[in-house]
Amino acid sequence: MKKLFGALATTAMLMTTAAYADGVTLGLSVDQLFESRVAVNNGIKAGAADRGYEVIEVVADGDAQQQNAQIQSLITQEVDAILVCAVDQNTIERALMAAKKAGIPVVAYDRDLPDSRVVQAFVGPDSTFDGKEAGLYTAKALDGVDGEIVIVELIGALNDQNGIDRSKGFREGIASLKNVKLIEVPTDWDSARALAGTQNAFQANPDIKAVFAATDTHIPGVETVLADLDKIIPQGEPGHVVVTGVNGSNDGYQAVVKGVADGFVVMGTDATGRKAVDLVADILDGKKVERVNVIPGDFYTTADVEANKDKIWGAN
Amino acid sequence: MGETIRNIFARQKWMAIAVATIVLAGLLTAVSPVFLTLSNMQSILVQSSVTAIMAIGMTFIILTAGIDISVGAILFFTSALFAQLMIDTESYLLAFSAAMACATFLGALNGVLVVKFKISPLITTLATYSIYRGAAIHLTGAQNIPVPREMGFLGNGKLAGVPVPIIIMIVIFIIGVYALTRTRFGVYTRAIGNSARSAQESNLPVNRVTIAVYAVSGFVTGIAALILLARVGGLQSGIGIGIEFTVIAAVILGGTKLTGGSGTVTGSVIGAVFLVLIDNGLNLMNASPYIYDIVRGSVLLAAVAVDRISAVRQQKAVEAQRAARIQGAAVAG
Repeated sequence: MKKLFGALATTAMLMTTAAYADGVTLGLSVDQLFESRVAVNNGIKAGAADRGYEVIEVVADGDAQQQNAQIQSLITQEVDAILVCAVDQNTIERALMAAKKAGIPVVAYDRDLPDSRVVQAFVGPDSTFDGKEAGLYTAKALDGVDGEIVIVELIGALNDQNGIDRSKGFREGIASLKNVKLIEVPTDWDSARALAGTQNAFQANPDIKAVFAATDTHIPGVETVLADLDKIIPQGEPGHVVVTGVNGSNDGYQAVVKGVADGFVVMGTDATGRKAVDLVADILDGKKVERVNVIPGDFYTTADVEANKDKIWGAN
Repeated sequence: MGETIRNIFARQKWMAIAVATIVLAGLLTAVSPVFLTLSNMQSILVQSSVTAIMAIGMTFIILTAGIDISVGAILFFTSALFAQLMIDTESYLLAFSAAMACATFLGALNGVLVVKFKISPLITTLATYSIYRGAAIHLTGAQNIPVPREMGFLGNGKLAGVPVPIIIMIVIFIIGVYALTRTRFGVYTRAIGNSARSAQESNLPVNRVTIAVYAVSGFVTGIAALILLARVGGLQSGIGIGIEFTVIAAVILGGTKLTGGSGTVTGSVIGAVFLVLIDNGLNLMNASPYIYDIVRGSVLLAAVAVDRISAVRQQKAVEAQRAARIQGAAVAG
């Protein structure tokens, strides 16, 4: 009986140890903190907590050199894997090479490092798909409109792949529309610039039919401009400006609920974060993983946004 | 005649940027029929208001030969505090009072650090930039916080048909001009920039005035923060990033010397408008988004180069006049 209890106790201890995965520690290197990034990071932390992993989080505040130093620090702390969202894909490679030399696997999240020889897997949004969803909705809403169709596109940072892909997808989505004049407004993800650019675009083209915001956090600024011009007209009525965006923040949610925006693509931030941890776990277990893993967003309109509130990360 | 114009340019440091602004406006009028409309003029002034208001405060700092890199972070912290207090208390009065007091305090703190520790203002405010921004991110958890739409009056409302941000900008501009040209505070500010040592030896309250200029800049930055918050519709973690460079560029374009002692509030406000004109023009022309930075940088470089060339010419003219006077005196002697 004693032997049986002893064996049970040993097994229980081993299981407990296995549950804590031999003290696996993830290094989480974050480019900078903003709402959607925090949402993905929360998904990573939740996924890590489920597996009993510890997380050491470092934030570079948009400084590439600082991020390199922080990755070096994670290597020194002997983390078991590094999850990274790079500030700059060109300068980070050297720091990641050091991780490779130390035998630490690296998974990129949210922003891919396609040319890296170190990154074993990437998980992030399917930005082309997301942009296309918004484009297809816009095309459908403007189908049959006569004459020139002027559309404002609030572009994200010009060197950000997610911004570039959303733009590409949006253009694919509106390809069926004829006689489109697209006004590109660079914003560098800055809502103040987006606001000024939208205002200027409406000055030059008072008959703008639609606005696409690469991030829905720009939509309150668009609302400001529309309100200034008395152009907040209910959906379906003549003169209504079709507004769409990508992200899933509370700004976007509120705008879609009010009907100021027609619809928005909600990114799967929690799913992205959890998938990142799953990839790390598979790599640590020696399993083969896909190099590129994308998670497409879901498009919600004013008609169905409230019914899907629990799926919108910014609304909860 | 040429000499008279040169003298006017030499006396009124803001004339160069004013001429550059008129030339740019003329070009934009030629290429875009929309440019010279009343509503576009209003748009330009509204868009300039935040930078212009902050530039007025920054002018005083640069006149003392100082600089404040942390104004963008003060703007962000003030916005964050206001938005958070609005959520927690739903009291405009409390949120407004606390935000303005905080903005003034953060500015004054920069001044105190510069004065007491005698560290370069650039390094001091670079450090406080990081502290203020980090504290704001900590306060809000990097979350976006919407502000009530009624607050939009500050950013989008009108009084007698004039947008509120323009009215606020004009009021601060008048106060700024008055303070700089008609008060002892303005005289002391320029005196410190010309020579802090001489000002000290003349028993001027150098430390108090230096702290005050940073506090004034913090205060007006607080006002700019609330206008921006009202216009953007809520707090976002990207607010204020890089705005310090736009503000400093406006001041320098306006003819204020980075070495202190010489400059005008008028020039800084025109400098802010000039910077907005560039983006406005590119937007109106539906220019490729890839050329914005190139055009902005090139125009800035050209404006600074023209200013520098005219300064060198003026210096040479002054030296030639002095040499002629000395020569004349020697001949007479």
